[in-house]
Amino acid sequence: MAASIAPECNDIKEKYDTCFLKWYSEKYLRGNTSSNDCEALFKNYKGCLNKVLKERGIDSMLDDARKSGSSETDAEFLKKS
Amino acid sequence: MKFFENKFTYDYSFPAVSLAYFLRYPNPYSRHVLTTDVIDRYVDPNTQRLHTIRLHLKKSKVPSGILKLLPKGMGGSDNSGQSYILEKTIVDPKEGWMETESRNMEWTGILSVVEKQNYQRLTSEDRLALDGLAVDKVSEQTTVKTTVTFRSRLGQGKLLARKKPDTAGDHVEVEEEAPRKGFFSSLSTAGIQRTIELIGVSRTREAVLKSKEGMNIVLERLRSGGVVGVLEGMRQDREAAFGPEGPWKRVWLQGNGKDRSIENDGK
Repeated sequence: MAASIAPECNDIKEKYDTCFLKWYSEKYLRGNTSSNDCEALFKNYKGCLNKVLKERGIDSMLDDARKSGSSETDAEFLKKS
Repeated sequence: MKFFENKFTYDYSFPAVSLAYFLRYPNPYSRHVLTTDVIDRYVDPNTQRLHTIRLHLKKSKVPSGILKLLPKGMGGSDNSGQSYILEKTIVDPKEGWMETESRNMEWTGILSVVEKQNYQRLTSEDRLALDGLAVDKVSEQTTVKTTVTFRSRLGQGKLLARKKPDTAGDHVEVEEEAPRKGFFSSLSTAGIQRTIELIGVSRTREAVLKSKEGMNIVLERLRSGGVVGVLEGMRQDREAAFGPEGPWKRVWLQGNGKDRSIENDGK
């Protein structure tokens, strides 16, 4: 499994990733889309990760990047395609 | 602005391809991908579509061709050789499609690269139209259309380049320095932007091919060993990549899809 940017979160990330893969392939893709088996693990993993992202100042960069979905570039891109 | 476009067909079902997309790192072609994290993930209660936002940390340097074009000190010494990529995906398992968008988060003023992929389940009717009578040859296929947009704003007023966050956790926005005299005299601003965009395109051609090879390996592992097979393959990749003496001599299966590439100049 791909490593986390925060080495201290690797264990919990691996547990979450394993849970997600199982849920995605065995439930979600087969139509059981409302189940959320991995919610607790994701919460733990996110708690660990968010702390590190904040410490390193990546959180604010992420917020900016997530907002840029409707940027000028995209508008022009859509016009072209 | 420049575009790169590529269309490709995987000889695998849509569920397999979408699973492989989430599982694609690490693979033998992704040794530049250092880390992958899930930032957000939820199923939209109205559409039942799965939304995922991931953050990838990749090894990458500003190409030397671009460095030469930048005012002194910019993109140079503080280029740590790593870059953050934000990836958004939406999966609709019922309609059989997945949309992805990946963009660089830093240096977007120098060169903003946005890759969009549209994965689509190929129905038997579509296949009939494409292959004529050879419908029965393959069982399930998934097409993917990749579009990469390059845009350089270098020289256009304020440059929104962002420095890496420093150890104190703060990040600094830098505005473009007034270029030294003579810097823009030999090359027009539009020429510099165009050159930077072209360098981006040439690097992308190779990157798109590599990512496709990586996906094919993950898909082959899925076919032969299921998710367990993929995880075992990853373990071996990690050993090979980070072990003391990675014996990097395995012969990997080649992709077997149909391929065609075109490039457009958006201007």
